[in-house]
Amino acid sequence: MSQNTSTSTSTSTSALAGTGVSIDIRNVVKRYKSMTAVDDVSLSIEPGEFLTLLGSSGSGKSTLLNIIAGFISADSGAIEVGGKDLTKVPPYRRDLGMVFQHYALFPHMSVWDNVAFPLKRRRISKAQVAERVQRALDVVELGHLGKRRPTQLSGGQQQRVALARAIVFQPQALLMDEPLGALDKRLREQLQLEIKRLHRELGTTFVFVTHDQEEALAMSDRIAVLRDGALVQVGTPVELYERPASRYTAEFLGESNIFTGRNHGVDEGSALVVRPEHVRLSAVGSALPTGHNAVDGVVREVVYLGSGLRVEVALPDGRHLITRSEVRGALTPSPGLPVAAHWHPEHALVVRDDTAA
Amino acid sequence: MSSTVSARAPQQSSTTPGAGQTPAPGRRRPRILDGWGLLIVPLVVFLLVVFVAPLVTILSRSFTDPTTGLDNYRDFFSSPVYLDVLGNTFRISGLVTLVTLLLGFPYAYLMTLAPPFWRGVMLVAVLIPFWTSLLVRTFAWVLMLGDTGVVNQGLMSLGLIDEPLQLIRNQTGVLIGMVQVMLPYAVLPMFATMRQIDRRLVQAAEGLGARPISAFWRVYAPLTVPGVAASCLLVFISSIGFYVTPALLGGPKDMMIGELIVQQLSAVLRWGFASALAVILLVVTGVLLVLVSRIVNIGKFMGGER
Repeated sequence: MSQNTSTSTSTSTSALAGTGVSIDIRNVVKRYKSMTAVDDVSLSIEPGEFLTLLGSSGSGKSTLLNIIAGFISADSGAIEVGGKDLTKVPPYRRDLGMVFQHYALFPHMSVWDNVAFPLKRRRISKAQVAERVQRALDVVELGHLGKRRPTQLSGGQQQRVALARAIVFQPQALLMDEPLGALDKRLREQLQLEIKRLHRELGTTFVFVTHDQEEALAMSDRIAVLRDGALVQVGTPVELYERPASRYTAEFLGESNIFTGRNHGVDEGSALVVRPEHVRLSAVGSALPTGHNAVDGVVREVVYLGSGLRVEVALPDGRHLITRSEVRGALTPSPGLPVAAHWHPEHALVVRDDTAA
Repeated sequence: MSSTVSARAPQQSSTTPGAGQTPAPGRRRPRILDGWGLLIVPLVVFLLVVFVAPLVTILSRSFTDPTTGLDNYRDFFSSPVYLDVLGNTFRISGLVTLVTLLLGFPYAYLMTLAPPFWRGVMLVAVLIPFWTSLLVRTFAWVLMLGDTGVVNQGLMSLGLIDEPLQLIRNQTGVLIGMVQVMLPYAVLPMFATMRQIDRRLVQAAEGLGARPISAFWRVYAPLTVPGVAASCLLVFISSIGFYVTPALLGGPKDMMIGELIVQQLSAVLRWGFASALAVILLVVTGVLLVLVSRIVNIGKFMGGER
């Protein structure tokens, strides 16, 4: 991208900027025949925040987003956007931008007409429409493809059109339902950055749904972890990663080593979490740093990751422990080598064990 | 035509290489008479004997019987009576098309929304006419719609009317009979198109600020156009050739071109003129097909691939 384009892009973006609004989700419940899709979720999203609803499939994250958008009505509870109760307001009057995983571009319209669609529904003057559509397309760097049909574009381009269409009418907030789920890894990472940039430049509240924890960690101001329809934990990526409140969160975000049971000194109903990057390996019998906790084991597998090593250590009880370390450590691990795995107690977190239930 | 046929012959498609590979030019050449290609010979012979030959006969007879030249066509286009019949044919076919569209569109739409069981019921209901003979159905309408038929008796006993409505021997009768026959042809292509439309697009439109009615007309309806066009074309073209239904349910003023052909053929014995009428019908149909195929891909709805 040339210097020129980037300048014009940022002016375009600022012209489309909105002011973030708060979104309050109050005790929302949605039940289907045999299951509770959303189980009494309450969550306050700050104005201008990038909040990610993270969960595995069936966790209720998409249902919750669709309830915010108004496509699904909750059995009970309320949705407030910018302090206004929208629970009974139909989707077409909620003024929220929505991006879908399947793009949902209108195949019979050109890219330009797709982006103009929300503006035309709002009876905006033709000149205004033309100006704003062009600006929105410039923002997603597709200004030259307005005449094409959506089917003539690649997946990544289609999703950018969907993005342009969702921001062109300066909605109160932008809702995204796994928008990058259908794209390959490289494109996904590129669009992640673009969405981050859009968020920064627009200042609009973003609610993003994904099942990809790396994506959630990379993009969000805060992450709300959902499980079986219920909210497990809300916090910044750092909070969730470094201070998970429960074993589920710890295992869902990043890799963890989990210890349970009395012989590890952990109470019933709790679990000990040690992140792989905090585990160090030493030769068995060598002096360990004072205060370190240690377990003995045998190296089972060593994976070279370029930036470091990922080592699996088999423990006497049959389980295994994962460590990540720099390539040039004190010890060069190889399969079969007996090692002592040790860590500083401050890196061992005692959390609620909520996975048994 | 012949190149299309040979390109789809199994021998050719089985040797069609994967994408990106360019076949030797010689292998692309249609080899219609090798092995598998011979299998189409019986069909070709059959069509030549029962379709092409009669067609050629009709065409030549329309220019040669009773005199060589354009006399038959001149007779047709210079007589208001005959032109009226052509006008009738178009008017009635157009009305049938319009009514089947108005009835069939919502029906097909409801079918896409219905749960599987009810969709099946609706499908069977629309297909039932296919399983009964056209003649039997038309006579059934004569009985039902006549002065002493079920409909008039029912309406009179309810006190809604004092004397029987004239429901047959006029345009109303023809319309009722033909619409019932044509309804499946209208519903099925539209249903086929509609079931492929992603309903989430309508949802997306509403999320972007379109009221439900606006979302329907601006997003859903345009996507049904191929099906609607195919339906209209099928119904209209089938309708202009109708004979039995207008003959039994229509009055003398509602004569359609099919009836005129039969009359000229069997009553007046003007075979050359009847042939000219058939040619006119054929040409009109052909022109329509060409015009509509510019808007939609007809082959897709007739079972073709593209």
